[in-house]
Amino acid sequence: MENKTILLVEDNADDEALTFRALTKNNIGNQLVVARDGAEALDYLFATGQYSARDVNAGPQVVLLDLNLPKVSGLEVLRRLRANDRTKHLPVVILTSSNEEQDRIQGYENGANSYVRKPVDFNQFIDGVRQLGLYWLILNELPPPRR
Amino acid sequence: MSVQTTNPKWIEMPADSRFERNAIEEAHRATLNILEDFAVEKRALERGQRATLNILEDFDAEKKRMAGAERAVLNILEDFASEKSQLEEFQHSFLNILEDFSQEKKQLEGTQRAVLNILDDFEEEKANVELANLHLEKEIKERKNAEEEIQRTNRELRAANKELEAFSYSVSHDLRTPLRSIDGFSQALLEDYADKLDSTARDHLQRVRRAAQRMAALIDDMLNLSRVTRCELHREKLDLSAMAKSIATELQEAEPGRRVEFVIESGLTAVGDPQLLRAAMENLLRNSWKYTSGHPTARIEFGRSAEKEKHSLFVRDDGAGFDPRYADRLFGAFQRLHTAKEFPGTGVGLATVQRIIHRHGGEIWAEGAVEMGATFFFTL
Repeated sequence: MENKTILLVEDNADDEALTFRALTKNNIGNQLVVARDGAEALDYLFATGQYSARDVNAGPQVVLLDLNLPKVSGLEVLRRLRANDRTKHLPVVILTSSNEEQDRIQGYENGANSYVRKPVDFNQFIDGVRQLGLYWLILNELPPPRR
Repeated sequence: MSVQTTNPKWIEMPADSRFERNAIEEAHRATLNILEDFAVEKRALERGQRATLNILEDFDAEKKRMAGAERAVLNILEDFASEKSQLEEFQHSFLNILEDFSQEKKQLEGTQRAVLNILDDFEEEKANVELANLHLEKEIKERKNAEEEIQRTNRELRAANKELEAFSYSVSHDLRTPLRSIDGFSQALLEDYADKLDSTARDHLQRVRRAAQRMAALIDDMLNLSRVTRCELHREKLDLSAMAKSIATELQEAEPGRRVEFVIESGLTAVGDPQLLRAAMENLLRNSWKYTSGHPTARIEFGRSAEKEKHSLFVRDDGAGFDPRYADRLFGAFQRLHTAKEFPGTGVGLATVQRIIHRHGGEIWAEGAVEMGATFFFTL
């Protein structure tokens, strides 16, 4: 599983720590990259700003996207992702507390691949993260890199 | 005619008397003069006769003309007689018409009087109607004001609803996040410092976790309850028997170890919102499933009630039941008749069902006894 990274876009420090913990328990902790707001996420994905040194073709395997983010909202990040040729096929899993219909609708309308609600029970959370990791990092196959 | 002065032969006269001869010649000349006069008279008479004949002729012609005229006059008199009788007929009819007319006139006068009366009444009515109109105008103004008030209230309600939706959204999203932290880090403590924590410490942390999870469940239930009131009602024809069967299958698949008999009447239908009614049925059936979990076997029924004119449906179980003295608390939000140790739950399930039933214009009530099961009746 080398070179397979997960981009977590999450502003809440506790959630970030708990997600990291859950991934670590499943041995995929060291492949986690965290962006703490929407702008940072876009910088990473398009290799701009603080991430201009990054190889844009070494994209993350999957993006775990929270919806409520400062600066640029989760949906806006998703929209820009999908609008850009380089990133439009990137698998995006919306990982959020909300179960409101509007969020689900908007998520899928803007091109999310999946919508997962963060449970309060941590054990359930760990289990969920494990399944996410197994699926997106191992089972799922991305299109070949663009030349 | 010339008088012959010669002696006519016939007269043979003695020659001796000349005097006699002169007397006879004078008589002779006198007779000749009389004959002349007579001839003249005769001619005059003849002329007179001819004239008379002419006159007679003319008179005859005139007589014929007069006869003709007389015939004409007689014809005229005949025509005149028939004209006269026609005129007399006309006169009769005219007299009849005058009679009828006189009657009509009386009737018209009667009608005229009636119309005048009506006009009088009409004047009164007009005055009444004008008064009524004034009242109506006032009422209309008042109603308009009331309508505007209602519209204003509606606008405020819509705004309030929007606020409520935003609030619910905030609740669903923002309240859960810290709960996740509480639960997660308590778990982290339990795992990472297991050797440093004694059983009391572990128990504290477990309580913290359980409390956080319970709060999350309460939040979810509260949100569902508010969503039931807020959301739009779509009406469709629904097969409730099929719905009940599908929920029963789900329950059995989730806990295959339980021995529960489901008796579901077929062909029960209703008109209502599919999502909300499914939520209501799930609530009721899950409750039955939950409150029969203390018994080794259970029987859960869904059917139509035969009693009363109300076409009511029911869900019945033979489980823990409830004390009928507290029946009025059954449907209150967050009210429970059992402790969480006996049966888990937030106490919002039945409140939600009640709200759903009420939104469909129906009623819900319950019968039961302790340890003798419970039956929930509802109409739609």
